[in-house]
This record gives sequence, structure tokens and C-alpha cells, in this order.
Amino acid sequence: MEFDVKSLHPLEIKLLRHAGEGDEITADRIMTELSFKLGQCNQAFSWLSAKGYLKESKRISRILYEITELGSEYREKGVPEARIVHYLKTAGPKKMPEIASALGLQNKDVGSAFGQLSKENVLKMDTEKNVTVVSDKLPERTAILTGLLEKASLDKFLDDDLLSEAERAVLKDNSKKRGASASPFRVIERDDVQYVLTEEGKAVKKYLLEQGVTGEEIGAVTPEMLASGSWKGKSFREYNINTPPNRVLLGRRNPYGEYLQWVKDKLSSLGFEEFDGPLVETEFWNGDALFMPQFHSARDIHDVYYIKNPSHTKKIEQPYLDQVAATHENGWKTGSRGWGYTFDHEFTRRQVMRSQGTVLSAKQLHKAKVPGKYFGVARCFRYDQVDATHGADFYQTEGIVLGEDVNLRTLLGLLKMFAEEIAGAEEVKYVPGYFPFTEPSIEVHIKHPVLGWFELGGSGIFRPEVTKAMGIDVPVLAWGLGIDRMALMHLGLNDLRELFTPDIESVRLRRKNENA
Amino acid sequence: MPKIEVYKKDLFSYIGRSYTDSELEEILPCAKAELDGVDEEQGILKIELNDTNRPDLWSTTGLARQIGLYEGLYRKEYPFFSSKESKKDYGNRIVKVDPSIKAVRPYIAAFAVRGKGITDEGLKDIIQTQEKLCWNYGRKRKSIAMGVYRSDLFTYPVQYRGADPEGTSFIPLGSDKKMNLRQIITDHPKGQEYGHIVAGEPVFPFITDAEDKVLSFPPVINSSEIGAVQVGDENLFIELTGTDFPSLLLSASIVACDLYDSGFEILPVKIVYPYDTEWGREIVTPYYFQQPIAVDTEYANKLLGTDLVPEEMEKALFRMGIESEHSGGSLTVAVPGYRNDFLHSVDIVEDIMMGRGMDTFSPEMPSSFTVGRLSREEEFARKVKDIMIGLGFQEMMYNYLGSGKDYIEKMNVTGETYIQIENPMTENYEYVRPSIMPSLLNSEAVSANAVYPHAIFEVGKVAFMDPKDDSGTVTKNYLGFLRADSTEGFNSASSMVSAVFYYLNREYSLSDTADHRFIAGRSAEIYYNGKRAGIFGEVHPGVLENWGIQMPSSLVEIDLDILLQQGT
Repeated sequence: MEFDVKSLHPLEIKLLRHAGEGDEITADRIMTELSFKLGQCNQAFSWLSAKGYLKESKRISRILYEITELGSEYREKGVPEARIVHYLKTAGPKKMPEIASALGLQNKDVGSAFGQLSKENVLKMDTEKNVTVVSDKLPERTAILTGLLEKASLDKFLDDDLLSEAERAVLKDNSKKRGASASPFRVIERDDVQYVLTEEGKAVKKYLLEQGVTGEEIGAVTPEMLASGSWKGKSFREYNINTPPNRVLLGRRNPYGEYLQWVKDKLSSLGFEEFDGPLVETEFWNGDALFMPQFHSARDIHDVYYIKNPSHTKKIEQPYLDQVAATHENGWKTGSRGWGYTFDHEFTRRQVMRSQGTVLSAKQLHKAKVPGKYFGVARCFRYDQVDATHGADFYQTEGIVLGEDVNLRTLLGLLKMFAEEIAGAEEVKYVPGYFPFTEPSIEVHIKHPVLGWFELGGSGIFRPEVTKAMGIDVPVLAWGLGIDRMALMHLGLNDLRELFTPDIESVRLRRKNENA
Repeated sequence: MPKIEVYKKDLFSYIGRSYTDSELEEILPCAKAELDGVDEEQGILKIELNDTNRPDLWSTTGLARQIGLYEGLYRKEYPFFSSKESKKDYGNRIVKVDPSIKAVRPYIAAFAVRGKGITDEGLKDIIQTQEKLCWNYGRKRKSIAMGVYRSDLFTYPVQYRGADPEGTSFIPLGSDKKMNLRQIITDHPKGQEYGHIVAGEPVFPFITDAEDKVLSFPPVINSSEIGAVQVGDENLFIELTGTDFPSLLLSASIVACDLYDSGFEILPVKIVYPYDTEWGREIVTPYYFQQPIAVDTEYANKLLGTDLVPEEMEKALFRMGIESEHSGGSLTVAVPGYRNDFLHSVDIVEDIMMGRGMDTFSPEMPSSFTVGRLSREEEFARKVKDIMIGLGFQEMMYNYLGSGKDYIEKMNVTGETYIQIENPMTENYEYVRPSIMPSLLNSEAVSANAVYPHAIFEVGKVAFMDPKDDSGTVTKNYLGFLRADSTEGFNSASSMVSAVFYYLNREYSLSDTADHRFIAGRSAEIYYNGKRAGIFGEVHPGVLENWGIQMPSSLVEIDLDILLQQGT
């Protein structure tokens, strides 16, 4: 017989080995013969029945009596009737409350004992309400009760089947089913089940005997065993490897953070240097330096959050302020005719929450190396209704490339590289776009193996009005990638709000989809 | 970005051919447009226009013009433009400008049209053009507002003047009773929407005819009679008023070209100013004010990465609807009357690119070598994250905006140095995060059902006021972490701080602090090289109660910038 012994618990093994083929197996027997506790017995019966190795052969309903705390007290001090008679015999006639307080009994108990015993002519009450002993011959039931208490304290339970009629009659008056603190006995109704081995059970038993599996194999290995060497010569219990394991709580990265880190690593491996900046920006860097006219509708694209206090920065770095202002007004030396309006020097110092990552690119320009490639993953803020596709704050991945060899075709080359390296695109399509700070402007659309066609990002060559005002004469590519959509896909999510969820359990359980 | 609705039928008839939806998606990029949706039942296309400097594209006719030109199906001359050199016949059509308007809303342009009765779709298109032009391009009517009138109902010359807000009244569109101008801006819905543009002025803009019949109160509302255009009207008068003359002239030209394309004859109007303008005191509109612009062909080739000859560039521009001619290394472009988006020669280069088509440019990798590198802050943050993970913490990432309730009230702090948003959308996003601690407690508050112990951290940015900086604020990189468990307390937090500093190879010292976020005597300030670099302790039960947290918690916050500043 092929049988996996690991599916059996040591309790089951011991029970199977012990049970005879024709035996009627009961809890009482197993508890006595194998020293199982009742709980262990019931567990073994229930597991073995579920596996079909034991079956119920007989079920007997039994009534048992168990001694209560009050019963134990009776056993120690005597039953109240006997104590009252004994007391009166020694102390002489007494009034009922005196008896109660002398013996530590309740008045009502003394009253009911007297009532019973006076009927039986053992006690009587004289004219002065003193109780006196008439006959010292106690009724039979007192002795029976005393005997039952003694027996119950030894056997733990009294079995109704084994009692005499007289005993039953006494127990009837001295037991209660529930909450029986006021009674010396508690009644317990119990089904005693008898089991026999099934054919499968017999086969397993045979197998266990043949294989010498005893159920005494070593479970947990302890330092003591190792120190003493007591394990030697013994066998080890084999465990069921399919038992569901316990949960482990571990320290780990946030999968979205891991994804952003991957993007950063990728970009730095492609020759880009990382930049960063403050969350609070000025209108100057957030818009003016990007040649977005101060009152033009193009600024509707970037509805921004204003800072209440301090509402304005003290000063904007020169000569960039003057150069940008002149560029807006009349083109300055950039070759542009400018926007033709009066630049507002108050407005430009207004402080806002950074609304676009391109701010970092603009700020990098005047300190950039040529040739140079830069990137930043910037937290940005927009005045938007928060929903599944808009966050109050979110990350933008942006950057620039400076160099004499920068042109439209190298821009397309760069976009193709991003599409392939970062997005795993199968096909790439370029579409003319519009951004206030680049000309020409290109949107890159990609065909992703899972998401299909979508816009990966925007890009372009910075307008000379942007670069020249920052003192840069070489062409500069500017690009931004919409990586949140890919991040959601990697994480199996479809709601941007989930990326910043405070829910610990959902972050703990979140996994990256390696195949997506 | 503006979105418009166009009738498929009209768009295709103007272009001269029809398109399937996918063909449209292919061709729309020539106008930097995207198909946003299709209403099959009504035959309406929803189209998003991405170029905010091309208001000429924001109408059915304007979009059709660009696509038709690109496809080579369409090419119209617009014969009605006057210019510095030539004035077109304006007949008796004159608008007289009064000096009183100069300080309020100085400019006006106008023209009349004549044609077969205007259709329902045509009227809708004019209204749409007006809305998009005046809202997106005209700064919500501030710099451009437009009115359309029934020209049969009034007599030239039209008068444009400043009027007394209380003493001038008429029946505005959408009302049946006479109101004075002041009442209109307080009581009329359009007045409530646009009245603020002129509310502070001593006189309000006002247009009447020769007999003082009212045309409109720009930029707010037309009169209910002359200004109520209906389907079937054959003779219309269009005026635009505003503060920015070139934008105003351009907008008038765009509307004129649109109406011309849809079959109307354009009848120029002479505007007579009592003051000087950029284009003189008498100007006949529609007016061609654009200047030719030139591009160096070598510069164009350098930007495009190409070796195009001037003829190829001319051909590409022609496809975009732009006439040009070259001489030597320079290509001079005549800007179409409906466009004014050529600020720099680089703008011509983009039209050359579009006219050539994106397919003609092969991608090429930049050849110059550059060294890639992560920032110091990022590298340090990664070290810190590794340690935190080794200590059994889960990394979290949080929003940087939150409420005063979470950041101030629940934290038992006063928040004087916290950065407040002046125009919050909701009170949930009213403050910039000054500390990671409220984010961590919020996590704990919403995660009571997650198996304990909880050990979470974030390395992220915080910002608060700082008078030392010109901006009065500072952004910093912080590490924050929280542990919550039935046995959590100060000692555990202290052990974690010790481990973090040990593995960052930095020495720290502690100092007592009385911070109400923590239990008194169970919190400490962390000092590194003599600078306060953080705080930690056992969170005060009152703070936990504010957050609805019923698990003992400890919090640690460390300023990573300070650790990095003097780091080894």
C-alpha cells in the first residue's frame, strides 16, 4: 500500500496503532489507555473520521452529574442538615438566625432544612422559637447525599445509569442543569460515541505497524536535544509540506518607488545626469522663463496653486530676469519679435507650487554642460479635481539634451530610444505637437505590447527665446515622459490615486507584474 | 486647450472629400488636432486643438482650410484684406470711435457680410468661433470680445464710445426690460460673468448706430433687437473690441476668412480713431497687418538635421498654405492673414517640418558622449532605504498636499511655519506637507485591519517657511518612520535611530524636547554635527486619539539633507 504518513498527526498514528480490529473505541478508553486528554481524543476522532479511517458504530446518550463548588464545600464541612443537628446537639436549643450565623449558612437554607427535618420528627421548635433536637436519627437521604458527594469527588462524574433509585431521587433534589452554583451537583447530558476502524483504517494501521511508525518521532528539534544528543537513534517526524505556511511581515520597497528607481537607473545608464529642485517655485521659473506669456491662454494649460505666504520671492536671479523680461516684451537678442506686452515684474516673483517638471530643465540651462544630458523626476502640482486620472500632486519625468549636434532627427532618435528602452515599444509614431516653450514640438506615440497605442510623451527643441535668455546658444532638446500610465500597468492598477495610497496592507501585498 | 464640435457633413464639404474616422485621425495632426470623440447620431466630431497660438483652426471652416491645403484640395485667395498699401472699398460703412473710450477699451475692428441666409449649423459655428476666440485667445473677453448683429436694422456710421453706466440703458439680449449698464453688470447673467472687466471704469464701452439705436455693451451683452441674429439672416455686421490691437485685428481676419469660406461676401468697414494707433487713425478692416518673416535656410536645415534645398522648403510651406520665396540663403515668408504665430524664424521651421511630413525625417542618435549620474541626494536616499528595509520597514509613498486638520489640528501643533495654498480646490489639499509624520499617522489610522506589527517609512520631500531663503521657504529631503504594535514605545524607536545612524556611519547626540506630539519625557531631538537633524519619540495618546489610532506608536523623523551636508 502506498500511503503518505505525513498526512497523519502523531495523535492519529498512536490511536490507529492502538485500536484493535474489532474494538469499540471510546474516548474513555483512549484517555485511559493512551493518556490522551479529552480534547486530543476528540481531535483524533474528528480527523480520522474525516479521513474515513474511523466510523461511528454506536452513540449513547448519557446523563452525568458533576460536583459543583457548593458540593465540594458540603463534602468538606458536611451537608447542612447533618451540621444543624450536630450543632444543636452540642450547643443546645438555638433560634434559627443563631444557627445560621454560627454555621455560616443562609437563613433560608436553615429554614428549609428545619422544615424538612421537623416533618420527619428530627427537630422541633419550642414556644420560645428555639429549635431543639427530637431524635438524632438523621433521615436516609442525608447519608445518601454524603455518599454521592464522596463518590463524585473521586470519579469526577456520576453516571445516571449506575445509580440506584434512591440515589436518583436524592440527586433530583440536589442538582441543576445550568448555573448550578446553588446546588451541589450539575447535570451534564453527553453523547458517548463509539468508533470502529473502517477497512481503510485497518489498512493504514497495518501499514503503520509494518513501517514502524509510532507517532513518537521527534517533532521540533530543541537545543537541549542537540546538547544532550538525545536525538540519536530516534527518527524524525516527516512534515506535510503542503500545510499552509504562516504569514511573514517583511521590510520592502514600495513597488511604485521601485519603478521610478528603475526609470532613473535607465536614464542614467543612457547618459543622463539627474537634477532636482524645490517644490515651491516662482512664476518666473514656472512660466516666464519658458516663454509662456504672463497673460496668454497658454497658461490655462497649467492652472497652478498659489502660495499664500510668502506670496512673493524677494528677488529673481539676474541677468536672467532682465533677459527674460526683454524677450517677452520685444524679443531681446533672441531673434524673436517677443510677445509685445509689458512684462509684469511683480507677477514674476509670485510663488506657486511647481506645476511642470520643465521648470527644472529651465533652471538647469544656465549651469548646464555642453554637450550635456539631464533628467529629473519631479513632483508637480495642478489645480485639478482629484480623480482616477488626476492627482493633486504627481510625478513628471523630464529632461534636456544640449549640444551642437542636436536637431529634429536626433530628437526623434532620442524619443525612439526612450520608446524602446523605457516603454518596450513595438512601434513608434511621431506627431507634431504644441508646447509654448518648444518649436518644433513633437509628441511620441507608441504601440505597447499590452496597452496598445498611446502617447508616451511630449518633446521639442527649446525655443531660442527660452535658451538664449538663459545664455545658451546651442540647440536644446526638451522632453517629458508620461510614465505613470506604465507604472500603473506594471503594478496592475488603474487609478492614479492608488500610487500614493496610505493603506498599509494594499502596499504590503502589491506586486510588480514582470510580464507586463 | 480648446475643443470644438464640427458637423462632419460641413467639414467634409468644405475640404472637398470625406474621411473615415481612422483617416481623420491620420490627417488631423497637420492641424495639431486630435479626434476626441464622435457623435454618430448627430454627425458631430469632437476635436481638440493643441496649438493655443493658432486660433484660426478653432472652427469648422478654419480646420477644413488647413486640412484642404495640406491635402492639395483647397486654395483660396482672400480678396477683402486692406493693408498699408491698399484700402478696400468700405462704401458708407464707417465706425466712429469717440475719445472717451480710449482709456477703457481702446480698439475696435469691424466688417459686414452679405450672403444667402445663414443656416442653423452656420450660426452655431459662428457662436462657437466667437466663444473659443474670445475665451481662449481673448483672455475670457478681457482682450477680445465679439458681437454679431443684423445689419439691416441700423444706420451707419456706427458709434463706439464710453457711456455713463447709470444714465445709459437698453434692453439686453435675454431680457425683456430696459436696464441701465450698471444694472446689467449686477443683475444680468452675462453681466455677472463679464461685468468685472469694466466694472471699475468711469465709463462703459457702448456701441450705437447713427440714430443712437443700441447695438451692444461690449464685452458684456448685445441689444435684444439689432443684436439678436437668427437663422435665415442674410446681412450681418461683426465687430470686435478689445485692448490688444494685433490680436483684435487677427481675430477679425479669422472670422472674416471663416465667413468667406462658408459663402459670404465680406464688406470692409472703415474705423476712424480720434487718437493714434499702431496702424494710423483710419484703418479699414479686415486689415492685413502681418510682416513678412525670413528664415536662414542653413539654420532651418541645422534644426531639422536635413539638407533641403530652398525649393523643397517652399514646397513644404506651400502645403501648409504659406507662400514663400528665396533669395540666396534666405527664405522669406508671407504670413497668411488668418495667422500671427510667427514670432521667430524657428516658427517657419516647424511649418517646413509639418509640410514635409514626419515620415520624411529618419531618427538618428545624438553622437556626443555624456556621463550619466544620479544626484547625491538620490544615492543617499537609496542607502537610507536599504537600511530601513533591513530593519523590517515597508516603504510608503504619500501625497505632498494635505489638510490643516491633518497637518495641524490632529498633530497638536500651531503650524505657523507651514506653507498654505492660497487657492485650494478643497480643504483636503490646503497645505504643503511640512513633515512626514502626519502622512505616517494617516496610514496607521486607515490600516487598523492590517496585521500587526506595523513598520512603515518614507523618504520624501517636505517644505516649510524659512526666512533665510529668498523665497522664504525651503524644500528638504526627510526620512520618516513609524512603528505601531501593542508593545511599541520610546525604547524601540531609540534602537531604530541608533541602527540607522550606525549603518550610515554617523554619530549623533540626543537632547530633551517638549514637543506636544509626543509623551513628555519620552521624546528626543537628534543632533548631528551640532545641527538639529530630527526628532523621535512615543506618540502622545492624545495625538493618537485625534487620529482614531488605538495602537501604541512611535515616530521618527530625520533631516537627510543635514546628514548629507556634512557627510563623509
